[in-house]
Amino acid sequence: MRLSLDQVERELAKLWELDAHAAGGSRTELMTLVALVSEPRLLERAQTVVSEVVKIHASRTIVAVWRDGDKPSITADVALHRPAGTAAVCGDAITLEAIGTAREWLPGNAERLALPDLPVCVWWVGDLPDYDDLFDRMVVGADVVVVNSGEMDLRDLEKLSSIATRSRGHYALADLTWIRLRTLQDLVARFFDDAEGQACIKDLQRITIEFAPRPDEQDAASTQAGLLFGWIAAVLDLSPEGVQWKRGDGWAEARLGGVSARFEAKARADVRPGVITRIAFDAGKAHFEIARADDPRVYTWSRDVPGVATPRHTLRVGAFEEPALLVRCLERPKRDKLLETSLLVGSSIVKSVAPRLTAPPPR
Amino acid sequence: MGAGVSLEANPFRVGLETERTSAPSVFVIFGASGDLTKRKLLPALYNLAVSRLLPPGFSIVGFSVTELTEEAFREQMHEGISKFSRRKPVDETVWKDFASRLHYVSGSFGEAANFAKLREKLEELDRKNGTRGNRLYYLAIPPSLFPMVNDQLAKAGLVADPNDASKFSRIIVEKPFGHDLASGDALNADLHRVFAEKQIFRIDHYLGKETVQNLVALRFGNAIFEPIWNRNHIDHVQISVAEDIGVEGRGKFYEEAGTTRDIVQNHLLQLLMVAAMEPPVAFTADEVRDEKVKVLRALKPIVGSDVAKCTVRGQYGPGNYLGKPVPGYRQEENVSPTSNVETFVAMRLELDNWRFAGVPIYIRAGKRLTKRITEISVHFKDVPHALLMQDGSHIEPDVLAIRIQPDEGIGLRFVAKVPGPTMMLRPVTMDFRYGSTFGGSGPEAYERLILDSMHGDPTLFARADEVSAAWNLITPIHQAWAKQPPLPFPNYPAGTWGPKESADLIERDGRAWRRI
Repeated sequence: MRLSLDQVERELAKLWELDAHAAGGSRTELMTLVALVSEPRLLERAQTVVSEVVKIHASRTIVAVWRDGDKPSITADVALHRPAGTAAVCGDAITLEAIGTAREWLPGNAERLALPDLPVCVWWVGDLPDYDDLFDRMVVGADVVVVNSGEMDLRDLEKLSSIATRSRGHYALADLTWIRLRTLQDLVARFFDDAEGQACIKDLQRITIEFAPRPDEQDAASTQAGLLFGWIAAVLDLSPEGVQWKRGDGWAEARLGGVSARFEAKARADVRPGVITRIAFDAGKAHFEIARADDPRVYTWSRDVPGVATPRHTLRVGAFEEPALLVRCLERPKRDKLLETSLLVGSSIVKSVAPRLTAPPPR
Repeated sequence: MGAGVSLEANPFRVGLETERTSAPSVFVIFGASGDLTKRKLLPALYNLAVSRLLPPGFSIVGFSVTELTEEAFREQMHEGISKFSRRKPVDETVWKDFASRLHYVSGSFGEAANFAKLREKLEELDRKNGTRGNRLYYLAIPPSLFPMVNDQLAKAGLVADPNDASKFSRIIVEKPFGHDLASGDALNADLHRVFAEKQIFRIDHYLGKETVQNLVALRFGNAIFEPIWNRNHIDHVQISVAEDIGVEGRGKFYEEAGTTRDIVQNHLLQLLMVAAMEPPVAFTADEVRDEKVKVLRALKPIVGSDVAKCTVRGQYGPGNYLGKPVPGYRQEENVSPTSNVETFVAMRLELDNWRFAGVPIYIRAGKRLTKRITEISVHFKDVPHALLMQDGSHIEPDVLAIRIQPDEGIGLRFVAKVPGPTMMLRPVTMDFRYGSTFGGSGPEAYERLILDSMHGDPTLFARADEVSAAWNLITPIHQAWAKQPPLPFPNYPAGTWGPKESADLIERDGRAWRRI
């Protein structure tokens, strides 16, 4: 049943009341999660993801979608999130559909429907246009803004960096692809936890990052690879100034100071396009490597530092489906300075090999 | 942090989510063929491996009297993990890697040659896996064997100097930490002969439970509770550790322990300490444990005639469990048919300190009670003036209940107006449940505690003075009970809330046990 916006809270209150009578259910919600669905075809995906997320983070969810039309209007649909097989309700679900120019009214109405005193998370579902007034207006009242750089091009790292810079601490930018990278970052960091590993850092001369390219990949690296290298370069204090690029068929190499970073596109059908399949560091006689095994969720971690025994390890990495990534973004809804720095450094490094953004629209 | 690891110096760790990582080490389990290893320790270690929380090179050595090949030991552990791990089914890829680091040494603990064999194995692992002499010794054995293992470890040169920054040796011991004050102190003295206090990790798995840690968060992470957490606002506190099962084949152990030693001296007093301690200066091991031990020191001793007045003992007789008949304690396996051991205890405690003077703390613990529940409830005082009850009826006071298990969470009972033309008030509850709010299953207590011991963080472990102070309360009670004539046991049927005297204990003060 489509509702007018003034009916939303009343209908939800009725649903909660019915639930309290039926199950004596308790109501605990942690935040308002607003999913802005950039294309109608992504609506179902967004709804599936939020219904999974609320199982872990009981929340009010507002999924907003817009369609073309002549008569501007916003209508709503409401329900309670009740995971299959459980009696417990874990939040209320509002779906907003904006027709035509009513898209412009979404920010105010989403704000009106947000739960008081709790954080608001805005998740942009899909590719982010270079300039979008709706996005800019939505993030103003948000505490966390979630995007997925993995659905974007390499040049978009610059756009994300600018979004993070513009936040001036008002909201925290989170990136689903960055969350995916955390495991790899931890495994990389493990190479250098002991004194022997740390001694190798000054001798690092070559970093290799292999990634699975998208069909007809044009970019020098996937955004994931670019972001990871942004992090590594930031850690190693490698200045993006004067970076020199060489490109060949299926590879690109950046030289920064005394370190060369080689990006190699290696097609692999069993992983998502853009993901990293191997990382290797060479430092003098030492070699460090993380590689995906035949099972794409299994990594082998190995370290060969002369004089130090370190056994090879096989590690399984979590499924990292979209809901799990979003949950992890929401676990610590705080500004992630490491992401901001990595975006800044990464986007500066790849700037010369990534097409520039389109010009902003006239004001 | 462990020897060999220096996170501060690793630029790749800056800003990462992984706050801690430990040095490669060997985890040696004494009593590795026993139940605890299969049910708790190996599943916890396996889960840490699945979560990628074990450091590179981390290895496990099982040491036990039972003759087993390494292969047979691995098979047994695989079986245990399949059955008892919270993650099922076993991830064979992770298991394969995990099993390759699982080793076994057999032999009696009394023979030096076996410890020489152990040493050889550990040195081999140091060479192969880079574990650098770092050791964690887990004593999953009866306390009577602790001195022997201690001596052998020392003689075999397997205990590192506590001040040696290049490697560490830590010992993890399970309760019971003695059976009275003298034996508890003797056990501590014995451990201290070989290990420094900072190398000793006394496990009380209650402290590894999320909700116990959440109690700290509730008290010290919210500004609204601490100002009312005192005698001016709190009428009394109740702590219940109720189990619906019987002794489950542990009759022999229970005959020596009883509920007071099994539950009250450790788990229950740990809950009391966390609920009543002053805010520590910092959330560090010594600061937290200093505050906890002050609570025990402030407990008014129960001696002389107070023992009969402030304590109640019970023992279950035949009854029912989930609608099926169950035997009484005296009919359980390895239990004397004339046993006088308590399977239930209730006490009225008081704290002689500024914050809680005059606030009674009622505790109860037992087996074969109506249901399984562990809870701390804080009962606030009545409103000073019954402004809203014109008929003179009583307004139910507010209650804050912290559920430790099952359904971990926090509930607040307060009074609300019933909709309608009259001022009718009714108690309502506001419930926060971990499960429905955060979903999923968090790490088990053993995972958290083993990880903390690997990191060398003893915050959630009992310190020697805590153990002594707990026995200081319990031992005089035991001594007084021993002098009393035997009680008419059994005095409560299985499946009930304990003997009538338990209700009398609290009702004498004009209060009642909370319905839980």
